[in-house]
Formats: sequence, structure tokens, C-alpha cells
Amino acid sequence: MTVRWSSLSGLAEAGLRMFDQVGGLLDSSLDSTIRLGVTGLRRSGKTVFITSLVENLLKDAPLPFLDVVVDNRFQAARLVPHPDLSIPRFDFERHLATLTDAEPRWPEETRGVSQIRVAIRYLPGSTVRRAVAPLATLNLDIVDYPGEWLLDLPLLTVGFAEWSRRTLDLARRSPRAELAGPWLEWLNNVSAMSPAGEEEAKTGARLYTDYLLACRRSSFTLSLVQPGRFVEPGDLKGAPLLTFCPIPMPIDVPVPRGSLGELMQERFEAYKTSVVGNFFVKHFSRLDRQIVLVDVLGALNAGPAGMSDMQAALAASLEGFRHGRQNWLSRMFGSRVDRVLFAATKVDHIASNQHNNLRTLLDRLVSDARRNIRFEGATVETMAIAAVKCTETVVTEHQGRKLWCIQGRPVGRDAPTVLFPGEIPDGLEIFPSGVEKPYNFLDFRPPPGVGRDGRGAPNIRIDQALNFLLGDYLA
Amino acid sequence: MTDSLRETSMWLPPMELDPGCAARIVGESAAATVAPAVVSSAADRVSPESAGSVAARSSTAESSSPDVAGRLRGALSWASVILKPGHGVMKLMLAALGALLLVALGFDAADLLQRSFASSAALGMVVLVLVAMVTGTALKVALDEIVNLRRIKHIERLRAEADRLAHSVGHGEASAFVEDLLRFYGGRSDLVVSFQALNKSVSDAHNNQEVIQVVERQVLTAIDQRAYRLVLNGARDTAVATALSPSAAIDLAIVFWRNTKMVREIAELYGARPGPIGSISLIRRLIANLAVAGVAEGAHHVAVDALGGSLAAAVSARLGQGVINGLLTARLGVTAMHLCRPVGFSPDHQPSLKRIRSELMSVSKQVL
Repeated sequence: MTVRWSSLSGLAEAGLRMFDQVGGLLDSSLDSTIRLGVTGLRRSGKTVFITSLVENLLKDAPLPFLDVVVDNRFQAARLVPHPDLSIPRFDFERHLATLTDAEPRWPEETRGVSQIRVAIRYLPGSTVRRAVAPLATLNLDIVDYPGEWLLDLPLLTVGFAEWSRRTLDLARRSPRAELAGPWLEWLNNVSAMSPAGEEEAKTGARLYTDYLLACRRSSFTLSLVQPGRFVEPGDLKGAPLLTFCPIPMPIDVPVPRGSLGELMQERFEAYKTSVVGNFFVKHFSRLDRQIVLVDVLGALNAGPAGMSDMQAALAASLEGFRHGRQNWLSRMFGSRVDRVLFAATKVDHIASNQHNNLRTLLDRLVSDARRNIRFEGATVETMAIAAVKCTETVVTEHQGRKLWCIQGRPVGRDAPTVLFPGEIPDGLEIFPSGVEKPYNFLDFRPPPGVGRDGRGAPNIRIDQALNFLLGDYLA
Repeated sequence: MTDSLRETSMWLPPMELDPGCAARIVGESAAATVAPAVVSSAADRVSPESAGSVAARSSTAESSSPDVAGRLRGALSWASVILKPGHGVMKLMLAALGALLLVALGFDAADLLQRSFASSAALGMVVLVLVAMVTGTALKVALDEIVNLRRIKHIERLRAEADRLAHSVGHGEASAFVEDLLRFYGGRSDLVVSFQALNKSVSDAHNNQEVIQVVERQVLTAIDQRAYRLVLNGARDTAVATALSPSAAIDLAIVFWRNTKMVREIAELYGARPGPIGSISLIRRLIANLAVAGVAEGAHHVAVDALGGSLAAAVSARLGQGVINGLLTARLGVTAMHLCRPVGFSPDHQPSLKRIRSELMSVSKQVL
């Protein structure tokens, strides 16, 4: 991906980053720091994942697949203030409180960026390192952000005309066409060549935002929603930066000065540099490890359209990252992500004998991205995980067939129930033909009494994920 | 067309079911308080592959209850150990010879008894008691040996089952394995903590492969570490003793004695407790499998071995011999670990000879 350097606006930023890196290098000679990127589209469970991960580390939970814990080298972990004071802290306590409440709920949607640092104290495994420092510390930095913003990253590589063309193409196709009606109608009445008017731009942006919000709400749960700040503005609510929308641009002639097209283009470019570029440089350009959370079950619920939309969104959002093997040189010039984990989340919503099928399905869904990342030299793995395990797998008889079911409390109900959630396809045909809406995976409420035993939140394979992501740093 | 029809008939829509008839997947924590209903469902689930473990369960039950039929079957299985196929004629001859000897001994004993009773009743009584003692202890030894051989067989069965499960992404069979392992290690106070940790770590979400991995991580690595220390000690002792011993004959005796002791200790640690015959057969198999120890090591390590030996030999021939004997002992020990472990080593947990090697290289310093 040739994107990296050209897309980052200019040398000044590169210089700043390098300065940061040198500082980081000095830091890391004393304590090692690892930046974990928790990437995921909206509703993929980033916040719950971070909360559960931190809770399990803090509470010294049984994590049988985390080497440092099994070898009895893990001392303790605790939250420490992050040196970068300009970013709000991830509100771990509040999220945990909602999960462990007497009436447990899921945390609310994330509206802005926040970050948290966990310091992990451990005994180094190698005798040489133990001779240098008997007790080592690993600072784990995790950033939480609205999943919508992730889809802004691919904007960095496209121009306005190109982006407009693609977005319009997509909007005119089913199932989006029905949702985009008013906005497309408005587009018919304006031209990129006509003189610019602020009111006009505002109307366009409003209609476009409505369309994006409708996409997000629709039963297909469409994921490809760009630009992310339109639907989740964060601190930019009502800023002129957000008053633009895709508009068909003439192909061969440049748009005249003072035209609507020029205005839109200018704002798009400004959005790219000051919003997206900033966000990227601040949070994603220095990642060491990345976990990509994918709500495969949600996509299965949404049907073929939702599935392919999610796949496209996922592929687009991964383009901007720098993958590859770490060495001292790459450390100097901004780190690379050398391990990427694709994780299908909410795996507790299906019976445990289906976990492997889900993992295989995810494998297939991300196979292109996987190959690309591998090609660049990073290690890739896929897993099926659940940050908070809400259900128990049980076996029951039904019409002479033994069914693997799950037992738990679905969202919106009080009594626990036994549910046969359906099975994950293991063949190439994901959606069986002739069946209307074949999948309906219910959401479950967090189990009562999470972490009441003081041993962390119950989870599925968080420890394996952690060992893959951090294991070598804790060696 | 037919294909898609079959698909839809196989396909079941999501639905809610009666919670009353739902049975938990037997979790390890539930295993301690097995409800009858769960047992029956577990029995229903027995597949041809896991039938072996059920048989194992029944056979262990028999060996604990001292009924004659069980013993007889045990003796037969012991005989089948001796009468291995392969050199069939040779084995048959040996067996026949053994039986002949036994008969001859019986006749001799009877003859002796008759003669001593003829000379005096008191002498007869003494001889009778002696003969009874010999027969009794011989029987006891044989029975112990049978039980111990069964334990070794049990380990082999466990290992085969673990091997199968370690490559299976299925569910539910591993809990039977863990129960079997728990039964095998029942009464080992040093493993209680490990098994408790295992109970806490395994959940219904883990598949067979993952359960086996957790078993290896939570229970066996602790034993591995202790076994490794035994190997380390054995290797060092052999090396030092060889370097210091004045004659080759004493060398040989020391090496043989120390190796046998080490192998026995390792086997006991993993729960095998071999008797004299068991030890011999174990050592025989060890020697046959000696190459296993080096599998994980690269060729350069072997070169280091050779070079290390010759370097030490340059200082002193005896030292060189010591180092080489020590390495051989270490190899034997690691092979014993491989053969006695109820779960085969996974690639990340292979015992390595690296530390032993560096330890042995410092023997020269210790001796000089």
C-alpha cells in the first residue's frame, strides 16, 4: 500500500511523528510500551472487549492460554495515567459498572475518542532479561473510538471526484436506493458548475446525513457509511467542515471558481486533512498490534446485502494501516503493525460446537485482507471470541435430533431461556437458497453477577487473543 | 434440485426449546457431582472412538476389586506382553521353557517337602512355611507387576486418546478424557492444586483441542518441570561420576545404576510406578526411542554435543567421557519423559536439552 507517506499531509507531520518515535524509543528502553489497536466497525463490541480485557488483567483472572499467567510470572496489573493528557480517559469504571450492575446492561455507544493505559508487571522469562531487570513492566495502551470513524481512513487515499462517483454508484443500487431518495432527488436539481451557496451546501449535507443515518438504522445494518463524522460528529457537531456531500463532478473540465463543486471539494479536502488525517496520525499511525473485531453474526442476520456491505467496509478500513515486520529502523520511522488478529465477536450467541464454523467463516470473509497483510510480512490469525460470556451451551432433544443450544437471558426479557440459535454454514453457500431470513441470532443480556467472584469477567478466548497479541512482549 | 431440497430439510430454523430437558455439557466442575441423568446422556454419547476409554474405566474398576477372573485376565494380558508377536517361535520357546521350569520347581518343592516331613515334622513345618513364603511373595511381586504394567498401558491409552483429541475441533469428548486422567492421578496430593486450576480454567466453550492444551498447561507443565530437574540431576551425577571414577567397570556400573534410578523416578513422577520387569521393558523401549529426544533440536545442537565432548576430551579423556555419558543420560531422561507422559508434548512445550547441555559443560569446572 503506497498510501502511507503520500497521504499523510506533508513533511511536518512526518517530522512530528519521528520526534514522537525518538521519545518513545528512549521510553521503551526503560519500560516497554505496546499500542494495541482495537479496530472494528460500529456495534462490533470494541468497548465491551476493552472493558473485559482490562478487567481480566486487573483482576488476575484465570487466563489459561496466556503464557505469562500459566508460567506464574504474572505479578499484577493496574491502571496508570496516560502521559498524553489531551485525550479523555476510557471510562473503564463506568462501563464496568453498567456490566456488573444488579440489572446488567451493555455499555452505551461510544461517542468520542478515549484511551487507557494498563501497566502489567511480570517476571521476565529469559534469564538474561531477569538479570537486567528482575521485574519488568509492560504498558498496554488501548484506544476506544466510535466505529463509524474507522471508515474515514480510506478517504485519505481518494480525491473528491472519485469518492463522489463511488458513493453515488453505491447509493443508486439496492438496497440503498430506497433510502437515498430525497438526497438523490436534490442532486438532480443542482449542478457542480452552478455558483456556490451556503444554504445549498447545508441542505445537501443535511439530506446526505439523513441518508447515512437511514443506512445505519436499516434492517440490513449497512456498514459502509462515509464520512463517519456525519453520523457520529463527536466534537465537530455543526462545524462548517461537515457541510458537504458527494456531488457528480464533471470528468474532463475543471470546476469553475466559486462553484458549488469547488466548495464541496474544498471542504472534503479540509475534512480529510484536519479531521481524518489528524485522527489517523494521533491514534493509528503508531500501532504495534491490531485486533479487528468483526460482528459476523450481525452480518449473517442482515442477509447477503448486509454481509457484502460489511465485507467491503472492512476491506476499506484496513487499507490505511502499515503492516509488516518490526525492526529497529521501522521503530524509528513510525511503527508497523506486525500482528493482526481477526476476531469474530459475540461467539457466545451460538452453541460451542459452532465456534469453529464461525471461525472458518470469518477466515473466508477476510481472506483478501488476510493475504494482503501476510504479504506485507505481518502475522495474521483468526479466532472466535466473546468478551463477556452471557450464555451456557446445553444439549437438548428435539424431534429425535440432538440439538446444541444456548441458555441465557435475551435482551428485553427477564427469564432465562434455552434457544437453538441455528447453525453456522460450513460450506461455501452462506445463505441457503429458498429460505427467507435464515438467521436470527438474538442478543443476550450480560449474565448477572459478572465479576462478583473477583476473578474477572467470564469470557471466551480472550486469553488466546491476548497471548497472540501480547505474548511475545511478556516473554 | 435434490441437493437443495436436502439442504432445506436438514436446515432447522432458530427456535426456543423447553429448558426442562436441556442437559449441560459435562463441565469439569460438574464431573465431581455427576448427576445420574448426566451419566446416562454421557453414555448415550459414547462413540466408537471413546469406547476405549469406557473400557479403560471398567478395567481399572476390576483391577481395584480383587476377583479371580480379573486377576486371571490380568495375568493373561501380562503373558501377552511377554508373548509379543514378532519373534513368535522364540517367544513360544521361552514361554514353554518358563512353564517347564515352573513345573520342575513345583515338583522339586513337593519332593523337598515330602523328604523333610519324612525326616521330622518340625523340619517339614519350617520348609512348608518357607515354601509358602516364597510362593506368596512371588505371587505378590507378580501381581504388583501386573498392576504396574496396567498403569503403563493406561498411560499409553491416555496418550493415544489425547493425541486424537488434540487434533479434533469437536466438543464434549475431552471431558471424559479429563475424568480418566483425574482417576489415573487420583490420590496424588501434589496435583490437587493443578487439577483445581484446571477445573477453573475449562469452560463449556472450549473444544477438545483447547481442553487438551489447558490440561497440558495447567497440570503437566508442573510435572514436566520436576521431571526436567530429575534429568538434570541424573545427567550431572553421571557426568561427574564418570569423570572421577578410576576404572571403566565402575563407570559402567554407576551409569547403569544411575540411569535406571532416574528413569524409575521420572516414571513414578508421571504416575507409572514400574516394577523390576516394567523398568526393564521401559528401558528397552527407551533405548529403542532414544532418537525422540533429539527431534526438537537442530543439527547444530548435535554438532555442539560432539564438539563439546571432544573439547572436554582435549582437556582430559575422562572428562570427555563424562560429558558424553551425561548427555546420553539426559537423552535417556528426556525420552523417558516422552514415553511416560499421558499427553504427548505439544510443539511449544518440548523439553529441550539446551539447559542440560550448558550445565554439563560446566562439569569440567566442577571437577577440576
